[in-house]
Parts: sequence; structure tokens; C-alpha cells
Amino acid sequence: MTVNSLAFRLFVTAVVWTAIVLPLAGFTINSLYERETQQAFDDRLKTFLYVILTESTARGGSVPDQPTNVGEALFELSESGWYWQIRPADGRGGDMLVSGSLANGRIPSPADTEATPDAEGIRWRNETGPNEQPIRVAEMLYRLGPKQDGPTYSFIVAGPLDWLDERASGFRTHLTTALAIAGLVLLAMTYFQVRFGLLPLQQIEQGLQAIRSGKTERLEGEFPTEIRPLQHELNALMQSNQEIIERARTQVGNLAHALKTPLAVITNEANDADGTFARKVVDQSRIMRDQVALYLDRARIAARAGSIGRVTDIEPVVDALHRALERIYRDRGVEVIVSVAPDCRFQGEKHDLEEMLGNLMDNACKWARKNVYLNAKSVGPGTHGEPPQVVISIEDDGPGLSAEQRSKLGRRGVRLDETKPGSGLGLSIVSELAASYRGQFRLEASDRGGLKAILTLPRPAESAELS
Amino acid sequence: MRALVVEDEPDLNRQLKAALAEAGFAVDVAFDGEEGYFLGDTEPYDIVVLDLGLPKMDGLRILEEWRRTSRTMPVIILTARDRWSDKVAGMDAGADDYLAKPFHMEELLARVRAQVRRAAGHASAEISCGSLTLDTRSARVTCGGEPVKLTSHEYRLLAYLMHHNDRVVSRTELVEHLYDQDFDRDSNTIEVFIGRLRKKVPADLIQTVRGLGYRMSDGGDPA
Repeated sequence: MTVNSLAFRLFVTAVVWTAIVLPLAGFTINSLYERETQQAFDDRLKTFLYVILTESTARGGSVPDQPTNVGEALFELSESGWYWQIRPADGRGGDMLVSGSLANGRIPSPADTEATPDAEGIRWRNETGPNEQPIRVAEMLYRLGPKQDGPTYSFIVAGPLDWLDERASGFRTHLTTALAIAGLVLLAMTYFQVRFGLLPLQQIEQGLQAIRSGKTERLEGEFPTEIRPLQHELNALMQSNQEIIERARTQVGNLAHALKTPLAVITNEANDADGTFARKVVDQSRIMRDQVALYLDRARIAARAGSIGRVTDIEPVVDALHRALERIYRDRGVEVIVSVAPDCRFQGEKHDLEEMLGNLMDNACKWARKNVYLNAKSVGPGTHGEPPQVVISIEDDGPGLSAEQRSKLGRRGVRLDETKPGSGLGLSIVSELAASYRGQFRLEASDRGGLKAILTLPRPAESAELS
Repeated sequence: MRALVVEDEPDLNRQLKAALAEAGFAVDVAFDGEEGYFLGDTEPYDIVVLDLGLPKMDGLRILEEWRRTSRTMPVIILTARDRWSDKVAGMDAGADDYLAKPFHMEELLARVRAQVRRAAGHASAEISCGSLTLDTRSARVTCGGEPVKLTSHEYRLLAYLMHHNDRVVSRTELVEHLYDQDFDRDSNTIEVFIGRLRKKVPADLIQTVRGLGYRMSDGGDPA
């Protein structure tokens, strides 16, 4: 997953979202739980308080009785944190009753502090218990006896706050674990969701790679409704592009035919005539011929520019040219020895490859003594970002050329030997065509004595590189 | 030698006819594909110059049809379509050579002569028979190094016999290959020209094979 990708954006958004929402949810749930537990704890204390109050005042006397059935054994266990205490609260004196757990300890009365009673007349306060244990105290002041002036007693029930903290802490641990697992599951699901959701885009990418590498001419496959219009438009665009190119090519071909035949007539007529006028016509016709050739080539290259995804197998093209050239040069007895590595392919138009190889092979056959060697092999892609390429070398065992002569060749209209037929346009066409594919064309001295022409051209990548 | 020019452009057709005639060929011309196909299919030509972009029938189709029916005369394609894909298609259809327009007439003539020679089984541009030498490039005949003066009819006859030396050539074949289709053919005229030739070149080089025709030979046993 690369940083600048839709998948990354969606995934990071989900991560950020999860990182904010889950802790917030955890915090809220924890607060609610703490509040509920506190409430439950208070309710329990309140229940005990009422039980003790009821138990000790059941007879209706002015002195409280020892409660006998509180319903919680912890009240009898020493320093258990669960205590009850009944003592006189109006200074008139009287007996103080305490739970077995409190023994000689005393619980300070919330009524002695600022604590205000709630709607039921219960005062609440957190205190430190007999063994320095934090406890929660619930107190109710109650007037005993039937008369209005009966003694007032403080009824206190206390429970350990540790009990509350332990539950809260236990809950927090479970909650955190659960939320962490939920977060991980959520992220994993997001990852798969993003991958699954963006699968059609990946298919498009693979489809475009297939088009670019020439395996297909259309974007094939069943895409979701949102993508289908894009697929149709892309296919229509590519088809229209192809039609425009074909039309341009046909026009160029027609123009070639329309211009070249009259030029041939004029040239032949002028060649047969004498005088300065005829010579002028011959000279100018030659210039016209070269110009026509120049702009036809340019038009062909321009017609091809923008066509993508054309891939040409090199071997069939070489075979066809080989066949034609052996026929053309059969009188010279030149043998063309071909060696094309398997799967050698050119990323470009078949016509252009034919033009380049045709001119080079024709040239080599023209000059060879006995043999012409054609070798094609694939190179790259390299580890330093070198693109995949195909290198085609064509050499002959003819007289060859000096370095100076080689540097002159390739320029439009330059011919080193006027006795051999040709227009001097062949090598410049090769050079321009190779350049239009960002390829290279160079001439070297061949070890076999003659000229060695080396063409380096783009090759389609074997497998599409997907992000 | 008989040549056929199939070219729809009238001026170019005329120029080709003139140049080939000057080079010693009896030339027939056609201005469209159907006519060209018919002539090539029915007349024995020694060379055909064929344009590709023709009305009524495309040049490539004509060529394929000829080859399909075993018409083996050499064919040079002459066309404005100069791309290698066109050349390959032309050669695959059965052409022997390919020349793109615009062209030099001299180059075309050189290729025409080369094809005629090769079809007759000669590798060199010079064909010799005894002391007689025919230079196909310059259309000149020398005997022992001395030039032989010939009329155009005499040259055609001698050139045909020399191209096919050591082979018996019938009078009919000679008539068919020496005159264009519009010529009033009479095989008796052949005998007249043979007689004239025998006066200009060593007489024993042209032998009469009774009932069959003539043979050009440097005197070896015809067996």
C-alpha cells in the first residue's frame, strides 16, 4: 500500500477514526459503569441501614435494641470493612451499639460535618475506617420512642470503598481488552473492506497495463455500476483514437500516391529533355521528392504519436523482410543469418518496426559480400531503473565505412555512394523513427568488416507492476 | 523480348513504353487492372512492370492471380506505396522486384534487364555465345570485340536467341516474344531477319533445327 493511494487514505482515516472513537467510548462506558456501581453500593448500604433501623426499633421503645438479623456475615468479621454503629446523637447519653466487625473502633458521624441529608434523610460521606481503610458511611438520625421528645440516635452503616475500586478496576481491564480487540478487528475489517472496495480500480489498473503491453485492445471485464461508464468511455476513446490514426494513415498513403506518380512523370520527362530548363526541372523535382518523403514520414510519425498499447513480435517481421530481401537480392547471393531471441517484442507499431528493420536490412544486403547478420535480444529492466528494451543489431561483411563517413550517415538525403540505388532517406527515417520511440540508433564498425547498425527500442514489461 | 506495362497514369505509361521500347523491348500497355490482368494471362511476356494502385483490379490481386495460374514471368512492382509492409506484401504476392515512385528510369531499366536475364538463367549482364557478346546494359552486340550494327528488330531477335542460347526456339515463340500484340504477325518475317542476322554475325552460331525452329549455339554438339 503506497502512501499516495486511495487505499492508504481510506485506511488511515479509519485508523484515526478508531483511535478517537474507541477511547471516547471506553471512557463513557467506564464512567457509566462507575456511576452505576456506586449507586448499587449506596443502595446496598441504604438497605442495610433500613434493616438495622427496623431491627433495632421494632419494639418501639426509647432505647435501640441490638439488631440480630442483618443478613450479612461480614458485619461480624473483624475489620471486614462492613460496619454498623448505633449511638446517641443528642448528647443525652445512652448505650452505643456496634457490629462485631467494628469491635472497639468508632466511625465518625457525618452529621458532625457539613454533610447534608438527602431526600430520605441519609447523610453520605467517605471516611477512613478503623484500620485506615477507606470506607463509605451512610447515617440516619432517628428519634426513638412514641413521644416527641424521645432520644435521637445516629444509625450508621459503612462499607469498604476498596470493594468499589476493585470492581471498577476489574471492569476497566476487561473493557480496555475488549475495546482493543474490537479496534484490531475493526482495522482488519477496514483493511479488507478497502481492498475489496477498491478491487475494481485494481482491475482497471491491470486492464490498462494489459492494453499498454499490447495483450488486449480494450478494457475488458465486468465492473461495478459506478465504474462502468468510465470503462465505456475509455474503450470508446481508444477506439476513436485508433480510427483517427488509421484515417490519418490512409490520407498519408493517398497523398503519397497522388504526389509521387506526377513527380515520376515530370522527372522522367525532364531527364529525357536537354537544356537548362530541363535540368532545373530535374533539380527541383529531386527537392520536391525529398520534401514529399520528409513530410510523409513526419505525417506517419505524427499519426502514430499517441497510439498506445501496440506491441509487435519481432520475429515475424524479421521473417517477412528476410523473405522479401532474399528475393530482391537473390542475384547477389547474399545470405541473411537471423537470430532472434524468443519472446523478443517491440512496444510500438508493426509498420514502424518494418520500416526501421527494412531500411537497415536492405542497406546491409546492398553492401554485403556474402552475409548479413541480424541479432535481436531483450535487455533490462535493470536494477537502477533501466527500462526493458530490445536491442537489434544488423551487420554486414561488406566494405564498411570510416568513422567520419558513419557520422555523416543518418542525415537526411546524405548518400555516400551515388552509384547504388536509393534516396539517402533510409537511415534518417530509421533515426527519426527510433527517436520517436525514445529509442536509439547508432552505427559502428562491424567485426565482420562491414557496417553494424544497432537499434535500441522499448520492450513491453512482462508483468504489470501493481501498487 | 516482350514487356507489359500496367500503369493507369497515361503520361507515365507513355514514358515507360518509350523507355522500354528504346531498350529493345516490344511493349504492350494496359491502363487498368482488368486489361493488364488479361494481357498478362494470355500473352507470353518476358517482363511485366506493374503498378499497384490500379482502377478495376488492384495490382496485388492481379499478381496473385497470375501466380496462382502459374504465370511465372518476372514482375517488377512500380508503386507510390514505398513502405516496407507494402514491399513485403508485393514480394509475398509473387513479385520479383519492387521499385518505389518517383524513380529513375535508368534504375527501372537496369532492374528490368536483370530480371529478364535471371529468368533466362544468366547471372552476368553480358551474355556470350562463341565470339559474340551481348551487353544487356547498353543493348550492344560485339563480335570478337568489334561492334555489330543491328536494326531494332534484328537486335530483339538476336537478344532473345542469346538469352535462350543452347535451346531450340520455335518460330511461334519468337513471334510471340518479339512483337507487341498490335503487330501483324507473320512467321515468315522471322526467316527474313534470321537471314539478315547470319550475314552480320558468324553464320554458324544460329542453327536451323528443321521442323522445330532455331538454336543459338557456339558450335558444340546440340545432342
